[in-house]
Amino acid sequence: MTSLLQVERLVVAYDDIQVLREVSLEVREGEAVGVIGPNGAGKTTLFKAIAGLLRPRAGHIAWEGIRLDGRPAHDVARRGIVYVPAERELFPQMTVADNLTLGAYAARAGVRSRLARVYELFPRLAARRPQRSETLSGGEQQMLAIGRAVMARPKVLLLDEPSTGLAPRVVAAVYHQLTTLRRDGLTILLAEQQVPLALSFCDRIYVLENGHVVLSGPPQALLNDPALKRAYLGVEVAP
Amino acid sequence: MIPILFDGVVQGLQLALLAVGITMIYGLGGILQLAHGQVAVMAAMVAALLIAAGVNAVLASAAGILAVALFSVAMDWSLLRPAYRYRGEERLLLSLVLTLGLAFLVDGFLTFRYPEIALTLRLRTPSVVVGGITVRTASIAVSVLAAAAFTLLALFLVKTWLGRAVRSLMQNDVGAALCGINADRTRTFIVGLSGLLAGLAGIAQGLFSSVGPEMGSEFTILALIVAVVGGVRSLTGTVTAGLLLGVVNAFASYLVGTYMTLILLLGVALVTILVRPQGLLAYWA
Repeated sequence: MTSLLQVERLVVAYDDIQVLREVSLEVREGEAVGVIGPNGAGKTTLFKAIAGLLRPRAGHIAWEGIRLDGRPAHDVARRGIVYVPAERELFPQMTVADNLTLGAYAARAGVRSRLARVYELFPRLAARRPQRSETLSGGEQQMLAIGRAVMARPKVLLLDEPSTGLAPRVVAAVYHQLTTLRRDGLTILLAEQQVPLALSFCDRIYVLENGHVVLSGPPQALLNDPALKRAYLGVEVAP
Repeated sequence: MIPILFDGVVQGLQLALLAVGITMIYGLGGILQLAHGQVAVMAAMVAALLIAAGVNAVLASAAGILAVALFSVAMDWSLLRPAYRYRGEERLLLSLVLTLGLAFLVDGFLTFRYPEIALTLRLRTPSVVVGGITVRTASIAVSVLAAAAFTLLALFLVKTWLGRAVRSLMQNDVGAALCGINADRTRTFIVGLSGLLAGLAGIAQGLFSSVGPEMGSEFTILALIVAVVGGVRSLTGTVTAGLLLGVVNAFASYLVGTYMTLILLLGVALVTILVRPQGLLAYWA
């Protein structure tokens, strides 16, 4: 498998506070890679830095052989690294259809067929086509954010906590749709608070704590790690 | 009554033409362009100078409009650059100082260098009778021009990719960046387009009265009032507010006298701010 995205010894700081301390990770073509860790571990900061919304202080981000860090967010998006933030960042007064169309701003050929594909994937969005996005429920907004990203014909999707604030039933629906996208060959980098979800969805996992990668590997290997079990799955392991 | 109402509508369209640029630049760039009226005056001055040099009036007007559109783009690239390094309130404050400085500079230069130049356009037929009412041809011409400009603007915003990008940036600049939209380039384009519309408003005024070098501040203030009443991020709001204030203005000058109209307009703005601080048809309702 070809390596698509490499993050090496990335340092990101807000003023004097280092949020990421030399984080390294890699995403290969066709993979689903998960980043888990407690609140404040630096997951969102990592994603924002990759997406070009934050400037790293040191280290570098490489994408298909070129350096990505220091490039503006719109440039990163145009290269096919499409970020779906936890805040979704939709266009509130625009219709669902307009929001989706804007997703294709940098990849305009074949918009209609992709729009049809997104509606097929998310039938609830199809039903709400003419509605302003601010009138949607949380789950629908999450679907719209993912749909808008799919419209950009992404090479890798950066999904930041897609389950946040959603009812379990809605989370299941969103992950069902993500699984379909994966089967179509989409590469995904996923941050997720709900550890079991991440473990069942991803091929490989990085565990982030206090801005460090403390563990990484395939979910099966991590499941056998007593420290992870104690910290994230709430399972007490006999010493 | 009806001629006054029509007069008001024509004035309103003109006001909206002037204000729509302020609304777009604020919505897109977070900048309050206080030299907007000066941009309108410059278009008229360029046209007047060219006409004085023997150029055909239509060509001269077009050249004036084009010149200020380019001037606006240059302003975005040079003068406003320091402001774009900041965000939010800091950018807004810096832009106030920078554009106010530009306004003084333009006013000073024009009144010093061309004190006697003013644009006065005369149509060959001064008035026509429509349905028993005598209407100035200038009023008809300006209404048609403004309506055409707004129709094109609306089509641009709704139908084209760049127009969609403009609307998206007005609503959520982070979301727009994530869609691959280059905010800087889009904004420069809109600053240029706003200059073009202001230029059109300046030329249009030349059909009613002479536009001289000292009129910039008045234009800016009128445009600001319209933008505030309309809600500084809403384009339909701007057009509605322009029409409303135009009609108020026309009736005020007829019933009370011209000296009171600016006070009345400011009164309307004040009431709007008190009752609906987000503007008549603001997005953030």
